[in-house]
Amino acid sequence: MIRIAAVGDVHLGEDARGRLRPALEKVGEHADVLLLAGDLTRHGTVEEAHVVADEFADLPVPVIAVLGNHDHHSDCANEVSDVLTGHGVHVLEGTAVKFQLNGCSVGVAGVKGFGGGFAGKCGSMFGEREMKSFIGHSIEVSGMLKDALSSLHTDIKIALTHYSPVPDTLRGEPPEIYPFLGSYLLGEAVDETGTNLAVHGHAHFGTEQGLTPGGVRVRNVAQPIIRSAYKVYCVEPAVVES
Amino acid sequence: MTAEQYLAADLRRAIAEDPRTAELGVRVTVRGNHVLLTGDVTCEERRAALEEVLQDVAPELHVMNDVCVTPAGEPVGEEELR
Repeated sequence: MIRIAAVGDVHLGEDARGRLRPALEKVGEHADVLLLAGDLTRHGTVEEAHVVADEFADLPVPVIAVLGNHDHHSDCANEVSDVLTGHGVHVLEGTAVKFQLNGCSVGVAGVKGFGGGFAGKCGSMFGEREMKSFIGHSIEVSGMLKDALSSLHTDIKIALTHYSPVPDTLRGEPPEIYPFLGSYLLGEAVDETGTNLAVHGHAHFGTEQGLTPGGVRVRNVAQPIIRSAYKVYCVEPAVVES
Repeated sequence: MTAEQYLAADLRRAIAEDPRTAELGVRVTVRGNHVLLTGDVTCEERRAALEEVLQDVAPELHVMNDVCVTPAGEPVGEEELR
């Protein structure tokens, strides 16, 4: 069994330095790995990235992150990633990492994701350049997630995004803004790749629990939803008859 | 939309776009001369910054700040996914 700690939308900055650290110091007692589901900063500046890096540095478990829309706000997402990477955080964007934990191989594939909406209520790559660019980005990053998940051949496979792959975990948000909160294309990537769990953030007024159309559990770990420094999920690898 | 709805939309955009707040997770409801803020922010300073921005944008309104600071303690228990 693997214990997965996860949190998103911590929105750190100098004014919130150290807020999570007391609970993080004990993360090793609760979990084997820590996932960060984007919106780690407030304005996406390098200065804020240093606060995030200090907050999550030197923990006894591997830390794996994706960025969120706030982390892109200052147009320096690569620099933000570099700061985090320099402090030992694995930052994923269409990439994957693998670990051996408790005798079990665990793979995490991650991407920021994007909006676009859900089946039957989504945008298409048609019309104005701005619209094609909006939906095109969603198609591109979802394809990256699918490829990264497909590359994993581990006992447990986890998808980590900032935007939601399903509408279930958005309940509580106004339905009119669902197209800005996630995309069914992310859910399709999860469903087509034998993934065990999908973790995301972004929807502060949403709901923690959801399910993809293919029956994969989804958890919205935005901090205003989980109301703690992180939430812990225990996942068993599938039993394969030999 | 009524004038109150336009005002609520303007205020919501202000607290999202003003760098002092940059909060997308705060709801704004206008009722007459009252504006109600709800949602969660990361720390007490940001809760106060919401009122500062609203004071600049709409000084005539009485702000009711029901925004909470998100708890950041250790989790209680864990969820087993079988």
